[in-house]
Amino acid sequence: MNHFLEVVNWSQIWVITAVGYSVVFSALILLIFVFKFMPKVLKLQMKRKLKREGKYTEKEGEEEEYIAGEVNAAIGTALSLYFSDLHDDESKIITIKRVERRYSPWSSKIYNINNVLPTRR
Amino acid sequence: MRKFVTIFTLVGLLFVVSVLTGGNVSAQDVLQGGGAESGSALVKGLQTFWHYTGFSNITSGNVIMIAVGLLFIFLAIRFDYEPLLLIPIGTGILLGNIPFVEGFQIGIYEDGSVLNYLYYGVVKGIYPPLIFLGIGAMTDFSSLISNPRLMLLGAAAQIGVFGTFIGAMALGFEIHQAGAISIIGGADGPTAIFASSKLAPKLIGSIAIAAYSYMALVPVIQPPIMKLLISKKERLIKMKPPRAVSKTEKILFPLLGLLLTLFISPTALPLLGMLFFGNLLKECGVTERLAETARTKMIDIVTILLGLTVGASTQASVFLTAESIKIFVLGAASFIVATAGGLLFAKLMNTFLSKKNKINPLIGAAGVSAVPDSARVVQQEGLKSDPSNHLLMHAMAPNVSGVIGSAVAAGMMLSFLM
Repeated sequence: MNHFLEVVNWSQIWVITAVGYSVVFSALILLIFVFKFMPKVLKLQMKRKLKREGKYTEKEGEEEEYIAGEVNAAIGTALSLYFSDLHDDESKIITIKRVERRYSPWSSKIYNINNVLPTRR
Repeated sequence: MRKFVTIFTLVGLLFVVSVLTGGNVSAQDVLQGGGAESGSALVKGLQTFWHYTGFSNITSGNVIMIAVGLLFIFLAIRFDYEPLLLIPIGTGILLGNIPFVEGFQIGIYEDGSVLNYLYYGVVKGIYPPLIFLGIGAMTDFSSLISNPRLMLLGAAAQIGVFGTFIGAMALGFEIHQAGAISIIGGADGPTAIFASSKLAPKLIGSIAIAAYSYMALVPVIQPPIMKLLISKKERLIKMKPPRAVSKTEKILFPLLGLLLTLFISPTALPLLGMLFFGNLLKECGVTERLAETARTKMIDIVTILLGLTVGASTQASVFLTAESIKIFVLGAASFIVATAGGLLFAKLMNTFLSKKNKINPLIGAAGVSAVPDSARVVQQEGLKSDPSNHLLMHAMAPNVSGVIGSAVAAGMMLSFLM
């Protein structure tokens, strides 16, 4: 084993490790920066659009709008429950209809095949 | 009815006798009185039959592997450990270790056999990107988008990959093999299979089995490390609920993620490309049918094929080697190192954060990919300390960033070593 460890180019191994780990970090840090600033850019864009339409008013000391995901989920659930609970308009007239059964040879049991054939012994 | 059964049984018996004796004995021969000869032919036929059975060819290695396969199936059914993976893999191990005489295109390593064709998807790295497509189509990245700094935990846990790389080199593995083995530390089965199919195809079976076994054992491996490294006070930290994420942000995430990560590490293209493509299908809102297929039927089919063939690739003659034992030891160490790395980095992050924005260090353990098991373990451990502290959504952020991190790490290994 000692011999093997001497043969391995350890400087190469350390370089791969250090560079590899730092690349993983830098890729994810880049994503962090992008997604940290993305909501601000989108908000800025929204502000411009609202200003163009004359619907935007600047407020002093305006705090960053923050809606927790669970608040959204609660609102969504409430709406879903409300809409699923709605009924169609019903006539509200409850009647019992009498079902008439008129005679028809098509449904008559007299002409059933068991009654036609002779009984087996 | 009885007549038919009797006739069929007689015909069946005659057919079996004829097959056993290699077609040398027919009713005519028996009637002509060749008794002694036909008797020896029958014995010879029975001997040939015995020679072809599994009982005749079994080795102790086969018995051990069949026991392992049965253990996997038992763990999946009894303890619900990753049943979607362990049942196909366990059954695959049984299939791969049924002893047989070679030359009839049966075994997974025999050219032209059905299992060999299915195994092609593993060897050529076809299945892992398809699994990633399904994962992308079923993963909600909103917790990550709402709190992007938690991505650092996913990056920190990749210490498991690079630590295992050094460990594998120290244990005497060749550099390409060490690179393939190191990806077990990413706790990501498809990525480990993909990397080993490129770097060390001979070790695919051992690496995949080690990766999936330890992924299934995440609920057993992680809690003791959490208890060891995180104090009771830290476990009680309540985090700010994640903000609501707009649809535009959700659509931009896969597009920007794809472009940024792949420009840095193009070798991870098959994995990350498919992951972000799947997520775009889910979030864009106009391809619901495709997203539905990717996250249900397609990923199920690929999981069946992948699990079964990876399991079948563990033929005792190929699998039971000293190398496999070393890989299992390294795999266990890599999971421990990755979990500890995530937890310690979360503690480190807390030293720089204001009191209002502190994170619960337990979520660092979810930095190892193993989606969503490690996040679930964090939730359970959090609830043990404070039944009102739900950490699942927060833990999902490092969990999914761990998937991206391990794919980038695998890409780095490939670009260095290929």
